[in-house]
Amino acid sequence: MLAQIDVDFRTQIINDYQGVSECKICDKPEYLARIREVAFNFFQKNGFPTQKNEEWKYTPVKPYINEPFDIDKDKSQTFDPSQANYFGQHLPGYKIVLINGKLSVEHSQIPDAALCTIQPVMDVLRKPEVQERLTKSRNYRNNPFLAMNTALFTRGVFIHIPKNTQVDKPIHLIHYEVGEGKQFNISKNIIISESGSEAEIIESYYHDYNDAVSFRNSSTEILVEPNAVLDHIKLQKSDHNLRMVEHTEVEQKEDSLYNNYTFTLPGMRFVRNNLNIELDGSNIESHMYGLYLTNEDQLVDNHTLVNHKEPNCESNQLYKGILTDKSRAVFNGKVYVHSIAQKTNAFQQNNNILFSDNATIYTKPQLEIFADDVKCSHGSTIGQLDDEALFYLRARGLSKTDAQSLLVNAFAFDVTEKLRDEEIKAMLNEEIDQVMSGVIS
Amino acid sequence: MRTENEIIEDFTTREYEYGFVTDIDMDILPPGLNEEVIQFISAKKNEPDWLLEWRMKGYQAFLKSKMPEWQNFKAPDVDFQDISYYAAPKNQPKYESLDDVDPELLRTYDRLGIPLEEQKLLAGVAVDAVFDSVSIATTYKEELAKLGIIFCSMSEAVQNHPDLVRKYLGTVVPHSDNIYASLNTAVFSDGSFVYIPEGVRCPMELSTYFRINAQNTGQFERTLIIAEKDSYVSYLEGCTAPQRDENQLHAAVVELIAMEGAEIKYSTVQNWFPGDEDGKGGIYNFVTKRGICKGDRSKISWTQVETGSSITWKYPSVILKGDDSVGEFYSVAVTKGKQIADTGTKINHIGKNTKSRIISKGISAGQSNNSYRGLVQIGKGAHKARNFTQCDSLLIGNKCGAHTFPYIESRNQTAMLEHEATTSKIGEDQIFYLNQRGIDPEKAVALIVNGYAKEVLSKLPMEFAVEAKKLLALTLEGSVG
Repeated sequence: MLAQIDVDFRTQIINDYQGVSECKICDKPEYLARIREVAFNFFQKNGFPTQKNEEWKYTPVKPYINEPFDIDKDKSQTFDPSQANYFGQHLPGYKIVLINGKLSVEHSQIPDAALCTIQPVMDVLRKPEVQERLTKSRNYRNNPFLAMNTALFTRGVFIHIPKNTQVDKPIHLIHYEVGEGKQFNISKNIIISESGSEAEIIESYYHDYNDAVSFRNSSTEILVEPNAVLDHIKLQKSDHNLRMVEHTEVEQKEDSLYNNYTFTLPGMRFVRNNLNIELDGSNIESHMYGLYLTNEDQLVDNHTLVNHKEPNCESNQLYKGILTDKSRAVFNGKVYVHSIAQKTNAFQQNNNILFSDNATIYTKPQLEIFADDVKCSHGSTIGQLDDEALFYLRARGLSKTDAQSLLVNAFAFDVTEKLRDEEIKAMLNEEIDQVMSGVIS
Repeated sequence: MRTENEIIEDFTTREYEYGFVTDIDMDILPPGLNEEVIQFISAKKNEPDWLLEWRMKGYQAFLKSKMPEWQNFKAPDVDFQDISYYAAPKNQPKYESLDDVDPELLRTYDRLGIPLEEQKLLAGVAVDAVFDSVSIATTYKEELAKLGIIFCSMSEAVQNHPDLVRKYLGTVVPHSDNIYASLNTAVFSDGSFVYIPEGVRCPMELSTYFRINAQNTGQFERTLIIAEKDSYVSYLEGCTAPQRDENQLHAAVVELIAMEGAEIKYSTVQNWFPGDEDGKGGIYNFVTKRGICKGDRSKISWTQVETGSSITWKYPSVILKGDDSVGEFYSVAVTKGKQIADTGTKINHIGKNTKSRIISKGISAGQSNNSYRGLVQIGKGAHKARNFTQCDSLLIGNKCGAHTFPYIESRNQTAMLEHEATTSKIGEDQIFYLNQRGIDPEKAVALIVNGYAKEVLSKLPMEFAVEAKKLLALTLEGSVG
């Protein structure tokens, strides 16, 4: 069935690429051609998701992609990243500059090769570990943007953290989305944490408010090997003209720990995060923390899928939302426990506060459980600040605004306190204060 | 060789030759669904034109609808042309005496504590004319009539109270609601009609069981309950005893309408044939149930205990339209063997200060799959709406599955919603504790399960609750150990 909504843009893509064989890539390993073929055929047939797709029921993509985009075009005049301010700029770390998805070595501070390797993904396609990541079968039906991404990506970064290495500073990826015209950027990133390694990855976003609309279609494949620890922090705050779909696939091996923190703050008009975690080993721990603070006509959608395949693992999801103005937010979490994954502990929580009658929240925490000796629970709430708590604070001499802002901070604190990085924590708390003071007063 | 067209033509003319419409004395229609079948049903029941038109609308909607694909199981391929849509009520008893009945069935009846005469009725044995409940039913009917309560079959209501039926039928579940509701609209056989006049509190639990002509209402029941201003009624459907039925597909529709200050309590205990060991031949229970709290301060409460059927697929819903109205849903669903349950509720909050409460307890054993699927929707005008949802799952064994799919949508900042769900198994320590006190494992499980489901069972009318408890214990027999 043809999805009418995106016919123009899709036709444009299909005409531009004329099938995968014409794809403009210099290095084309044979395995990749096959994968691209499948993905491209899927995309050609199905196009962008419609609201008939259960995974996109509350997320109409039409208003965000209905533009004549240029795909993966570079800005003609030179762009100087050092002049561009982004959220999280002052944080210490190895700054890795990605302009429209492409790694810019000259602007980046690449860490010592002994600590980790950072290369454009197109240079490493023949590495067996890269091939392994890219050949994993993926559910295109639920993620049509991923099909497009796999079929057409020509950019992205490859990060490799060697065995038993501790990266001393965070690796800070800054995604610059720039261009004169309307821009559609596709990138594929691969992160491999070898066994016993420890690293922190931060992602920031930049889009000039003078620039035309940019759409970012990014997918990240992550492997966390035995005993490795990976912290992954997304600071999603940028300009109104930036829209994005970020797809993250994580595979964890035994005894590993992966922490994902996703902070979506006012700015970007449309954000869709897919976070799929596969717990492929025992004694794995995964934590997913999300905070979305939305305003104006923002649409923020968080989809998670946690797949417990082996016994004795623990997964924990905590997503909190504060919605103001006309904004909309979606949370869709799924925990899947296979029948052999006994002794699983899986928790899922989503709390929301609505600050406006025009804001809308859709939440759907789901459990699919096939093992009996498990502890799984989920909770979801939608509400407002507690009147009794407000009264308590006001009775102790706090002004209404102060009392409200204290309660909002406490609400968000549950998520920010989970950060192990004190500097990011402080930065976020300050930002939340600032945003909320505007809303409350 | 004849061409396909010739064969089709041949068939169509042949049908015409025998005539569905003219032969009014026919008892059972041959399998098949078309406009003539619907005309035949309508004519046979001596229905007014508007009802036939409405049936036709339902049929048109049915033709246009597609099978849903969102459910968490593979929907069986139902051949709608292979079903006979009309059978005259059978008066023939199936057996001459209880001795002919399957002893396994009788053993179950005994353990449920069902009186002998009732056993006969349930098993389809010929019953004496002086059977107790018949006389009870007659006395009850007189008493109800005195209060102005109408409680009769849908066919009678169409004949005797056409204005009421016309005014309300299909207003809660429209003819195009879903494919099975459309099918029901087109071919519904019979069902119950209840009308409680203003200010009347129905003095007894109404039940199809007491409605003597209610036997064999067939697979496409249509129930309509109207509670006028400040009235109250409690309605019971089904019974705890296992029921045999040759119809595999059951697609009933239940509509409830509560006016200002009225309260309707609808309780269901369902224990239909779940199929053999491989899950073959069991009943498909695809029911559309919906109530509307039309007036302010009205209340609708659904309570269900689902233990039978090979597939149970239903979402009793409440539309909270009136201000301060209340919707409740209490459910226990037990699945074992290869049974499937995909059940839950939908609550639409439209009016101000509307409240809803959902308690769902799922128990899965064997190789069964038990899903809770629910929707709570808060509209823009539903100021201070309140919802509490709790859905717990209990797993017995590691070949079964428990699933939770709650959909929660809010468009109002003053609304407050809570949802929580847990999945667990019966703790070994709990069983050990009971074993120590001399209770064998099987009884211990029954005890724990009953405690787990207590919150829902306590909402059932008393006699029903006692039977439902026994039923739970019986259903889970043999699933532990």
